[in-house]
Amino acid sequence: MLLALVAVVFFTLPLLGLLGEVEWGSLWDNLTSQQAKDAIRLSVECSLWSTAISVCFGVPLAYVLARVPFPGKALVRALVVLPMVLPPVVGGVALLYAFGRTNGLVGGWIYDTFDWQFTFSKSGVVLAETFVAMPFLVITVEAGLRTMDRRYEDAAATLGASRLTVFRRVTVPLIAPSLFAGAALAWARALGEFGATITFAGNIQGRTQTTPLAVYLYLESQPQVAIALSLLLLAVSITVLVLLRDRWFGNVRSA
Amino acid sequence: MKRFMRWIATMAIIAAVAAVFVPGTAGAAKNKTTKLSGTITVSAAASLTEAFTKMGTDFQKANPGTTVTFNLAASSALVTQIQGGAPADVFASADGANMVKLVNGGQVTAEPTVFAMNELVIVTKPRNPLKIKSLADLAKVNVLSLCADTVPCGKYAQQAFTQAGVTIDPAKVTKGVDVKSTLAAVTTGDADAAVVYASDAKSAGTTVTAVKIPAWLNIYAIYPIAPLASSTNADLADAWVKYTVSPAGQKTLQSFGFLPPPGQ
Repeated sequence: MLLALVAVVFFTLPLLGLLGEVEWGSLWDNLTSQQAKDAIRLSVECSLWSTAISVCFGVPLAYVLARVPFPGKALVRALVVLPMVLPPVVGGVALLYAFGRTNGLVGGWIYDTFDWQFTFSKSGVVLAETFVAMPFLVITVEAGLRTMDRRYEDAAATLGASRLTVFRRVTVPLIAPSLFAGAALAWARALGEFGATITFAGNIQGRTQTTPLAVYLYLESQPQVAIALSLLLLAVSITVLVLLRDRWFGNVRSA
Repeated sequence: MKRFMRWIATMAIIAAVAAVFVPGTAGAAKNKTTKLSGTITVSAAASLTEAFTKMGTDFQKANPGTTVTFNLAASSALVTQIQGGAPADVFASADGANMVKLVNGGQVTAEPTVFAMNELVIVTKPRNPLKIKSLADLAKVNVLSLCADTVPCGKYAQQAFTQAGVTIDPAKVTKGVDVKSTLAAVTTGDADAAVVYASDAKSAGTTVTAVKIPAWLNIYAIYPIAPLASSTNADLADAWVKYTVSPAGQKTLQSFGFLPPPGQ
């Protein structure tokens, strides 16, 4: 009981510390400073892109992992989950050696062929964020697909619906709560991405300097801007948790 | 006469007590002869990484029983850590401004000593594919890597650009959190060029091509070092400070591309 209390205090103190440092009077000014606005705009844009890409590619991947038997599935799942446990900065270095223009396995070819460079660009931020965020979506949706009642799909199929119709009209609505939860988790993870972003995409204000990077960079020069941005990220995280509480746990109960 | 003798005796006792208890007088002189031991943490500017690591090994070899560990980061980040109570015994900064913060805060126990200097240099991808010859040429690169504005190397670079009358589009500048990450944007990343210290360019070897900035346009970094009030091993901290200005320490620093302190 006492140990549990220590743990709770341990989680609470940093939050109180952050809240105590906030200058509430100038909070709005700090959040609307040019650096903060650039960082917030970029973070929103890139994290939404990364969530959209995660849904596009992650849902089919989750479907394959949950439904299609194939050899080496355990290995594929391990690969997919790896970015969740990998230190993000290592992820950034790995991305550099895959998609970097000068040292990347395919980056140079992409640059020569399509005249497209990921590093030091918004697309690089999206790539780094997707790398760390998509696993959250895949794992959540796969769990949803495994726990759903497949008899509805079978019923639709016997009634003559094509596989695509079944997926669109039966499967997706049934896994909607997990899809929503997965997307929200992936979005929150993308929004908070730091290590892979700074390593792979760099730190250019207005182009690749997302909110977490701005927090780190301005902590020395403009601590109040850094604290205001931290508070914003904290508020977003809490909102995501509150939203997930209804959807996610509601889904668990009904399943 | 008897009273005088008693006065002498009293003074002698006071002197003896003072010698034992007051640090920095007779007591400190006595400690000089005692053998150095224990561990210190040296918080040092990131640009000192290679040189200090080598010097640490040499120092430990010369003084068995001592351990010198390093906390290497941007000088500005180190100051924030020390002000926040991070345990450190010595601070070696890449500029005067960050040392001043600790001096003014009373966190330094002795007058800082300048033990090295450094100059700025442009580094490019190997063989300089963009044919960069000067600071002005940096305006035409796609991505330029500079240290963040708070970090000494970032301040020096800004001074150099201002002095040379060169304006760089901020949308082309990626900011490194210290000089090593600024350099890494060119060595492992895709930045076309960076402005770093000559010592960093030297340690990067053939992974970059260094383009010299002429002396009249260059900015010279000074490196002050001082023992810290938070030190629990003042003798070893002092010894490290002295080692950095000793002939052996200077030889190593200069072999890593640092310049001798002014007046030497």
